[in-house]
Amino acid sequence: MGKMFDFGLVFRQIPSLLQYLPVTMELAVISMLVGLILGLLLAIIKIKNVGFLNKIVNFYISVVRGTPILVQLYIAYFGIPMFLRYINTKLGTDYQVADIPGFLYAVAALAINQSAFECEVIRAALQSVDRGQIEAANSLGMTYLQALRRIILPEAIQVALPSLGNSFITLIKSTSLAFTCAVVEMTAQGKIIAGRTYRYFEVYVSLAIIYWVITILIEQLIKFFEKKTALPEQVAIYNPERALAAQEVQAHD
Amino acid sequence: MIEIKDMKKQFHDNVVLDGIDLTIHKGDVIGIIGPSGTGKSTLLRCINRLEVPDEGSITIDGHTYTSKAMKSREVIELRKQTGMVFQRFHLFEKKTALENVMEGLIVVQKKSREEARQIAFEELERVGMLPWINHYPKHLSGGQQQRVAIARALAMKPKLLLLDEPTSALDPELVGEVLDTIRNIAKSGYTMLLVSHEMEFVRKVSNRVIFLDNGHILEDGTPREVFEHPKNERTREFITKMNRLVEADYVI
Repeated sequence: MGKMFDFGLVFRQIPSLLQYLPVTMELAVISMLVGLILGLLLAIIKIKNVGFLNKIVNFYISVVRGTPILVQLYIAYFGIPMFLRYINTKLGTDYQVADIPGFLYAVAALAINQSAFECEVIRAALQSVDRGQIEAANSLGMTYLQALRRIILPEAIQVALPSLGNSFITLIKSTSLAFTCAVVEMTAQGKIIAGRTYRYFEVYVSLAIIYWVITILIEQLIKFFEKKTALPEQVAIYNPERALAAQEVQAHD
Repeated sequence: MIEIKDMKKQFHDNVVLDGIDLTIHKGDVIGIIGPSGTGKSTLLRCINRLEVPDEGSITIDGHTYTSKAMKSREVIELRKQTGMVFQRFHLFEKKTALENVMEGLIVVQKKSREEARQIAFEELERVGMLPWINHYPKHLSGGQQQRVAIARALAMKPKLLLLDEPTSALDPELVGEVLDTIRNIAKSGYTMLLVSHEMEFVRKVSNRVIFLDNGHILEDGTPREVFEHPKNERTREFITKMNRLVEADYVI
């Protein structure tokens, strides 16, 4: 038996773990994007209070938020193929269930999970935008979608950004459960390595370091975006003389 | 010519508009006065359907918009022909003064950026806001914000401009600049409905004054007729009360 704790190995094996960082990030980014779009749709349904749909959305959010992500991943991995096979026999379609990569099941589960949480964040952010501005947009003749895209979303995004960043960080760590869908990402790769070396503890320490560093980087990225979307503190007075000159140039053109 | 017929609006049991009929001629500047809560703002909001009236119709240049069963396309059509200036300005916070004015031109009227810019410049110059075109609403005083809001409404070339207490949210010293702006656009021939508590201003700027009380038009005439020879007892009471606010407590 060698050392109790191989300190060097913790760092030496990081590169081989990082080989699977792209898989982790793909899982996280795709799930985030799908979750955001779904969440936005759900949020609009809730804000617009679309009668029956509203009840379905509430039920959906309640179920998704009320069950563990690990259980949801298993349900996606076993449930979706079962459902497709059922459709195959019932409707005579020919979905090649065995050909569907586990990655898709993982994304489906993570995105659905994400959408339920995102929905509430987005709804709160959309509703934080002053109604008066929406009325002003309407009075100009904008449709709800135009106002949403041009006026409401740009303001809501700034409000939602810290919470969305937070949930993205949570999501990145949730991807470590994707092994349940037979996806090899960083954590799964760590287990494979440890299965060879029997150095489980070192691998988990390596993984902890990697996830932590990623989180720090993403926090910085969020801060950068927050600064970028903030309005400037001061603006210079526009020089009317220069404007007149510019207008004259245009008049000559 | 714009014709409003039998406009009715009720919030629960509270009848705010009880069958308003109003004919507005081109170039009319109509001041709407009356006690608080008598539906002055609601009338404006029903005209461009920020509030859905229970009954009534609006005819603009021969096209009639009936309040019931109005398609969303028609609502947009109606709103394109009316401009609104709000008590609390409601500028788009994430956009500069220039972008605020350009927004409707680009999104609704589908004008090119360059054309929208040109129009926005002209309108902002008209309200004297050219030096501040790159400022965001949070950098501007209330009076400046309201002038930008007026430019934003005017840029759309509305057939009817609705001004909903445009100076009520302003510090007293900023009221003047906004009133001057409104006086200028009134002179340039815009058709306007102006709800205001600035009686002196309404008297000077409008060619027709309406006194609204309990959802009815009690008085409709020239400023001189309404302010100096009101026919109705309620109007007389209201105007006396208002005059008392303006007059000195005692004269030496």
